[in-house]
Amino acid sequence: MATVGIRGASYCLNHTPELAFHYGNTPSTERHSKPDSEFLANLPKFVQSYDEAVRYAPNLVYIGALGVESLPNKTAPMYKNLEEKGSRSGVYGEIMPEDEFIALMDICDVFDLVWLEESFSVAVKPKMEAHPLLGESQIKRLEAGHALADIEKEVAEHNALPLYFNNVVVACVRKGHDIDENLSAHVLMENLASKVGGVLALMHLIKNSGVEAKDIEYVIECSEEAIGDMNQRGGGNMAKAIAEIADCVNASGCDVRGFCAGPVSAILNAAGLVCSGIHKNVAVVAGGAIPKLYMNAREHVKKAMPALENCMGNFGVLLMPDDGSMPIIRLDAVGKHSVGVGAAPQAITSALVLEPLEKIGLGLKDVDKYAAELHTPEITVPAGAGNVPEANFKMIAALGVMKGQVERADMNQFVKERGMEGYAPTQGHIPSGVPFIGHAIDAINRGEMHRAMIIGKGSLFLGRLTNLADGASFIIEKAGAKASAGASISKNEVKEIILDVLSEITESLDAEAKKD
Amino acid sequence: MGKLSGKKLILLGERDGVPSPAMEACFAASGAEVAFSATECFV
Repeated sequence: MATVGIRGASYCLNHTPELAFHYGNTPSTERHSKPDSEFLANLPKFVQSYDEAVRYAPNLVYIGALGVESLPNKTAPMYKNLEEKGSRSGVYGEIMPEDEFIALMDICDVFDLVWLEESFSVAVKPKMEAHPLLGESQIKRLEAGHALADIEKEVAEHNALPLYFNNVVVACVRKGHDIDENLSAHVLMENLASKVGGVLALMHLIKNSGVEAKDIEYVIECSEEAIGDMNQRGGGNMAKAIAEIADCVNASGCDVRGFCAGPVSAILNAAGLVCSGIHKNVAVVAGGAIPKLYMNAREHVKKAMPALENCMGNFGVLLMPDDGSMPIIRLDAVGKHSVGVGAAPQAITSALVLEPLEKIGLGLKDVDKYAAELHTPEITVPAGAGNVPEANFKMIAALGVMKGQVERADMNQFVKERGMEGYAPTQGHIPSGVPFIGHAIDAINRGEMHRAMIIGKGSLFLGRLTNLADGASFIIEKAGAKASAGASISKNEVKEIILDVLSEITESLDAEAKKD
Repeated sequence: MGKLSGKKLILLGERDGVPSPAMEACFAASGAEVAFSATECFV
């Protein structure tokens, strides 16, 4: 059985409500179409502050300051019933405030695209110096700053975009070309912001995994941004740009895209590299997406609740050769949504969940936890999009009933036991199964869980080149799980074992005959 | 002939619910014409 080890994982949030207000797609398009709208006028009244964000239970679960199992016991709505004690840090990462995020944008900028206002740079520098993961090579990249008048001139005369903190302009992002819209200030701002998330995720991943930056051999980046100019829009390699800032001097990299299914596909690509021996230590990372900030804010404001989509998410996973000491990804039971599978929900669930399990002789109840589309329900339900993870778990349970593996009366119990509450920001690729990897490997290491399935789904049709969606899945197990689980031996493996035994008997008989 | 025969349908699907191609398949024998069919993603 081909396997790779999962050495570590990282998860961070960047609390960026002012980026959300000015550049999230929903408020931004409203500003162009209806600048005097009630929604825009009211939106600032429904901001969740940083102090509230670090007390919001789903955010704390995401960064590993709370366990996933704690969520069903919380009093709803959690945005009103905040945790008594907030935490910037969790075992997987941190919730970074917006001023530090803007400073990190400047640190990650190698083309003098970001200009910081000089007093802002002075004020934020000590915070960056105090950050436990930023070293000299990062801090020296922080610019001294520019006069506010120069920033205002860039905005007024050269299409730069202002960045705000406490409702004041503290920086701007400049365009990278006079006429190339792929290098406009807006596109570059989104790309840089995603790069920042990738860098933060990679630095936390290195720390969490107990390795050094120089140990990383390859980075696969899997956000949903297109990096390039007018001649090669989407040319890519955000991965190497991230590795450079994180001091991964021995790493190269590439990008994998697949809308929200990108991360699961990227992890499978990374697993292939590790398992084949091409690269030993492969990091998979992704930053978040500015456009999705405040995506459902219109409905949140209508319902007089905080606009919760105020955090950009990011994550990292480090894969290494399976040495028996780490939870593993099984490569003999990978789910994929082939072209011919079609669009029917039960067919997709069958391809992604049931078929990979059947391949290794397992049933739906052999998986302790399923992780799919882990969007925080308090964000999506008020917006009319429903409880997305629960819908996915119900579909798995329903398939179980159809296949005779789950009693109809036990469907809700199946969903409760083997699903989970969503806790990730609605950042597209970020909630797509991968937020559970960190919690899964820790639960496996504590001996509390045996097997989890990570499921990613992507809406390819949004790109208008196909009506298809996509998906992929993989199974995480404790090291050596196959050896101890008789049920997990496939028919082919049984055949191989029998053939080996028969071959040994034949050799033995031949030897005996020669003696005679 | 079904009650949808001769009618025009607008189908809006959702990826994690029922995608529009699945709805098209359901209505294929209804005698209705699919005037517009699209799947959207709301997350």
